[in-house]
Amino acid sequence: MRRTRVAARSSGQPRAVLGFVMALPPLLLIAVFAGLPIVLAVGYSLGHTGGLNSVTASYAQHQHVATSGWGTFAAYREMLATGRFRTDVAVTVLVTLLSTAVVLVLALGIALNLRLRGGRVAGAIAALGVIPLFIPVVIASWAILTFYSTDGFIRSVFAQVGLDAPALGFKVVTIVIGSVWTSLPFAVLMVSSGIQSVPDAVIDAARDSGAGLLRTTRSVILPMAFIPIVIATTFTAIGVLGSFTVPYFTGPNSPRMLGVDIQNYFAAYNQPQQAIVIAVTIFVLASGIAVLYIWANFRSANSKDL
Amino acid sequence: MKRLTTVVALGAVTALALTGCAKKSGDDTAASSGGKTTVRVLISGDTNVQDLWDKGIVPGFEKANPNIAVTVELDLHGEHDSQNLAKMAAAVKGNSDSGMDLIDGGFVLQAAQAGFLAPADPSTVPGLSDVPGDIIKAGGGGGIPYRGSSVLLAYNSTKVAKPPQTLDTLLAWIKANKGQFTYNSPKSGGSGASFVTTVLDKYLSPADQQTLRTGYDQALESTWDKGFAELKSLNQYVYQGGVYPNGNAQVLQLLSAGSITMAPVWSDQFISGQKTGQIPATIKATQISDPSFTGGAAYLGIPKNSPNKAAALKLASYALTPAVQNVIATTIAGYPVIPLAKLPAQTQEIFKAAHPDTLRPTYFSQVTNDMNKAWDDKVPGK
Repeated sequence: MRRTRVAARSSGQPRAVLGFVMALPPLLLIAVFAGLPIVLAVGYSLGHTGGLNSVTASYAQHQHVATSGWGTFAAYREMLATGRFRTDVAVTVLVTLLSTAVVLVLALGIALNLRLRGGRVAGAIAALGVIPLFIPVVIASWAILTFYSTDGFIRSVFAQVGLDAPALGFKVVTIVIGSVWTSLPFAVLMVSSGIQSVPDAVIDAARDSGAGLLRTTRSVILPMAFIPIVIATTFTAIGVLGSFTVPYFTGPNSPRMLGVDIQNYFAAYNQPQQAIVIAVTIFVLASGIAVLYIWANFRSANSKDL
Repeated sequence: MKRLTTVVALGAVTALALTGCAKKSGDDTAASSGGKTTVRVLISGDTNVQDLWDKGIVPGFEKANPNIAVTVELDLHGEHDSQNLAKMAAAVKGNSDSGMDLIDGGFVLQAAQAGFLAPADPSTVPGLSDVPGDIIKAGGGGGIPYRGSSVLLAYNSTKVAKPPQTLDTLLAWIKANKGQFTYNSPKSGGSGASFVTTVLDKYLSPADQQTLRTGYDQALESTWDKGFAELKSLNQYVYQGGVYPNGNAQVLQLLSAGSITMAPVWSDQFISGQKTGQIPATIKATQISDPSFTGGAAYLGIPKNSPNKAAALKLASYALTPAVQNVIATTIAGYPVIPLAKLPAQTQEIFKAAHPDTLRPTYFSQVTNDMNKAWDDKVPGK
């Protein structure tokens, strides 16, 4: 018994080493190009201004320098103490939740329409939903801003019939509109491919056993397309959470989303340490969403084992 | 054990990567070849500045100095300012070549502040002897002022016959004409920053203003409170009840489209915009007084360990000669930084009304950074 175990071990060892060596280049690449900068940045946010951080530290303003070995939370405390930052976090979360919800409802609607009704119109709507993918975000943001601004299309049309439409430019609503616009294509592709792959036979079987449209959707189609829907949701949410271009162009000066804040703190205020604190905040928020994604992946991996 | 090996391997790879970089930047030092020195100019700005260098400055300089060649590189709109500053910082600290010998851009002041630039004064750059001392001082010791511009009050002459002449009457006009005025957020462009600075300065003693212009004094920034309260009270009278666009250009666009009637604008953007027709002729500009809108100089900087420092200093001094200053004035509508009397009569005529010689300087760059943040915290949406 003991001997066989030893034998298995000795034959397994070189294999494990080989596997490790084969995985080494990508691991090193990630360690050097992503890991090291992250460690440096987090270290800087904790007040470690020496070493490779000394270049940035030499021109930064209002830095908190570590006094103890592990560092200091002073930069984090400073940011959390400003009411402005707390409002910005709240707005960022709000915009993320709203945009994701709207994107999901639209994507599901388009996908279900395509799956259950089909036909040329449904196909055209799905194709229309994908078009924003081919328009650069900067141009889209600018177009959305001018479309809803005081002298924009909406207000011009209303003015023709003597009505006064609200000017939506530079509002939080505009950010939501822009985020939905830019996130929709990926969600539509993801969700509709998931829903399309539900076999006809399953839907027919559900209908044959007397399930209505709602019941079929709720109990058969959605559970079967669950993974792609979760992926679309998490990717949309993480994308909106860290977005810069859309809120920068279309949003108000205050409150602002965190992506715009990072740029402001980094460039306009010359406070890179505080910018990193914001980046860490976004990272923490995104990790929360990422957990959902990982959980869904595990679920799908497990269900394949069954 | 295994972990230790991983750490060692990681360390080795990092060291390799770093030495790789160092070697490469070392190779670049061979910019001079065959006895001819090459000055590498980096511009952070718009294409009009590149044109100025390519057509207005470089040909004459190369003709006068046959053993010096000049290459010009443009970083459009200064999008890589942070990276270029970091690159220069790393090069100066590690005493390697940064790949730039003369920089024309906004981050020059930051670099001067951090001590990365070669000191500039009339002994190293002879041309500076003609430039007012205040403007040189605002350069932080390494910045070489070579052209200026100021902010003016632009107004739609079809709606306003007599524009306000002082800051107080302007503030009264803004309150009396709801939604007809705006300025861009100070961080996004100098014209908005100038309006904010001017309102803040209204409540500051001349001595305090001077301190904030020539150095960094954080304690003094508390004197801004009254000014920020005034700016905050304007929110409801500003375009759409408090919309401050991002960037000088957005404000000019609103003004040209007729969405607003009055706004602070940069003199050079305004003059060249009218030349190209982007700004209609019905929009006119004037300077206010008590206090006037600020203006400032654009600075050149030379990294202190530049291998071609002597040639770069020569080029900087050349940019301050009356001939080049005249080119700057006529091509990009920049204010000359040397006395107007040294320029041709025709140019003197154009700039007579703008008083470029009495340029009211803006705050020191670090003070401006703090002002940008304070405005964001205290004014919009409050």
